[in-house]
Amino acid sequence: MHTTPAAFEQYWQQTLDDLACYAARPEIELLPLRSTDFATLYGVRLTSLGPYRLYGYLSLPTGRGPFPAIYYAPKYQSVLEIIPQGTANLQRSAYITFALAGRGQRGSDSPYAAMFPGLLTAGIDDAESYIFRGLAADSVRGLEFLLTRPELDPARLVVVGNDLALITAALHPGVTQVVTTPALFYRTVEVAPKTLAYPLEEINDYLRAFPEKAATVHQTLAYFDLVALAPRVTASTLLLAGPPGSALDAQALAPLVTALTGSVTVHASEQSSYKDGLYTEQWIARQCGIADVQRILPEHWREERI
Amino acid sequence: MPKAVSVDYQSKVTKPTDFAAFWQGAWRQAEAIPLAPELVPDRLRSSDDIEVFQVFYESLDRVRIAAWYCRPVRRAERSPALLFLPGYQMDPPIPKEWARKGYLTLSVAPRGKLRSMQQFNPGYPNLLTHNIIDRQTYAYRGFYVDVWRGIDFLLSRPEVDPTRIGVTGTSQGGGLTICTAAMRPEVRAAAAGAPYLCGMMDAIELTHTYPYQEINDYLRLHPEQRALVQETLAYFDGLNFADQITCPTIVNIGLQDNVCPPETGYALFNKISATDKRLYTYDGHGHDAGRYQHSAIVDQFFAHHLLS
Repeated sequence: MHTTPAAFEQYWQQTLDDLACYAARPEIELLPLRSTDFATLYGVRLTSLGPYRLYGYLSLPTGRGPFPAIYYAPKYQSVLEIIPQGTANLQRSAYITFALAGRGQRGSDSPYAAMFPGLLTAGIDDAESYIFRGLAADSVRGLEFLLTRPELDPARLVVVGNDLALITAALHPGVTQVVTTPALFYRTVEVAPKTLAYPLEEINDYLRAFPEKAATVHQTLAYFDLVALAPRVTASTLLLAGPPGSALDAQALAPLVTALTGSVTVHASEQSSYKDGLYTEQWIARQCGIADVQRILPEHWREERI
Repeated sequence: MPKAVSVDYQSKVTKPTDFAAFWQGAWRQAEAIPLAPELVPDRLRSSDDIEVFQVFYESLDRVRIAAWYCRPVRRAERSPALLFLPGYQMDPPIPKEWARKGYLTLSVAPRGKLRSMQQFNPGYPNLLTHNIIDRQTYAYRGFYVDVWRGIDFLLSRPEVDPTRIGVTGTSQGGGLTICTAAMRPEVRAAAAGAPYLCGMMDAIELTHTYPYQEINDYLRLHPEQRALVQETLAYFDGLNFADQITCPTIVNIGLQDNVCPPETGYALFNKISATDKRLYTYDGHGHDAGRYQHSAIVDQFFAHHLLS
């Protein structure tokens, strides 16, 4: 069930080689509406594998760097956020933040506009043309762009996201910390049939409609299996597991923890976006040497309201 | 733990005297446009127990609105129905879960959302401040009507029992639940979670997180427009719809909500006119508003009011 394809390394090396054929050619545009006295926001356009032109939001803190950075890898939703909903805008005073829309997401939705649900199975019957091969390349391209910024302290570069965050850390050594919430590619073939919830329900829908494609779908998913990619990750990892008893709880994710080579912290969801969010903010701040985390928390999470 | 929030928070939001007339005008415009519903079976998403349809209907400004409609394969001739409303950044989900519980469920993608963005697409961020200084063209004028027309779609379906329609959603879906319950007397039960679009001018001072931060961004660049922004938002604020709600209503909030300040949740609840209403507060919870515990309460609430 968990056989790693023989061409696994070759698949990913070819993906990176193909990406390297395209210069990023960044265009950076000031966005005054979202700029403040503590941070300046830019819209960024980059070329990725395809070639495909991507869009992202780069926020640079005011003052002299170098600064730590949070790279928000492409999410599984159509909307591209500057910083995730509910994050204190003041986060942008302490970190460079860069949020990238992968191909198909708003901002990067021309010529390809992804559907949600739908993206998870787009091209899934062929590993070469599977949309997530391109999305993984997009995410790496965003990281490469961030690493070119002179304001960045490359010793403090945190990637945050779902599976793509971990995949990015696996494909590029520039990531120093990763915060990942597996949702799509952890033993998908086993986990999907146990749920009726999207996005994994997309896999169930697809295999119900095209049962004859099961073998090729499984083959494609094997290239993206997080356990197979984990040994390549050298970054310190915060693994956000589901609540105990859920399909992706800490116990279920144990093989992933074992496979990761860097230090790993597992946080089991407390079923509270406040508690889980606070834990994550504090972990990132500790990793980046930011002492005054209270200042950059949302007002309703602070011990003392400012 | 963070400091406790005030349960008797006094909102600065005031109701315009022509609030009702404003919305009657919008609704009259909408009523003149035929609904023209279209139901397209989605075989890929359907299963043995649930039929899934892509739905399209006409709304204000003749914007074509998309939605997902799910119905249990095994159902009574007339079944209860739910209108499910999406969060601000959420892609409207296929509501199979609600259909499995026995409800004919419509999940609407109001204008600007994925699948309803061909004619209107201010984007995210931006929707919240699109034409914010003119209530007649503000983004949410059409957006609200799109949602209310979802009730008309349900009423157009022969399998829907028109006396058993409920509405629910969280965050923006919670705010939309409030205004829908207020404007559509056909709604018999409403469950609003972590309601957004309520106490908006309060919220931008209580929190500095997106999406409300969009308004602060706008005002920072256009401080001279503050009075007009405040004037416009008053017509769209859930607090000003709340006194029209008469159906049984439940609201849940997280006391550490970093998106929709709990103070505004209290202010909203205090203004809801329904006699059968209940507020559930979840300490130690943020914008999830205790969803994991609360979902069973919502299930029970709708089962009591719609299934029985």
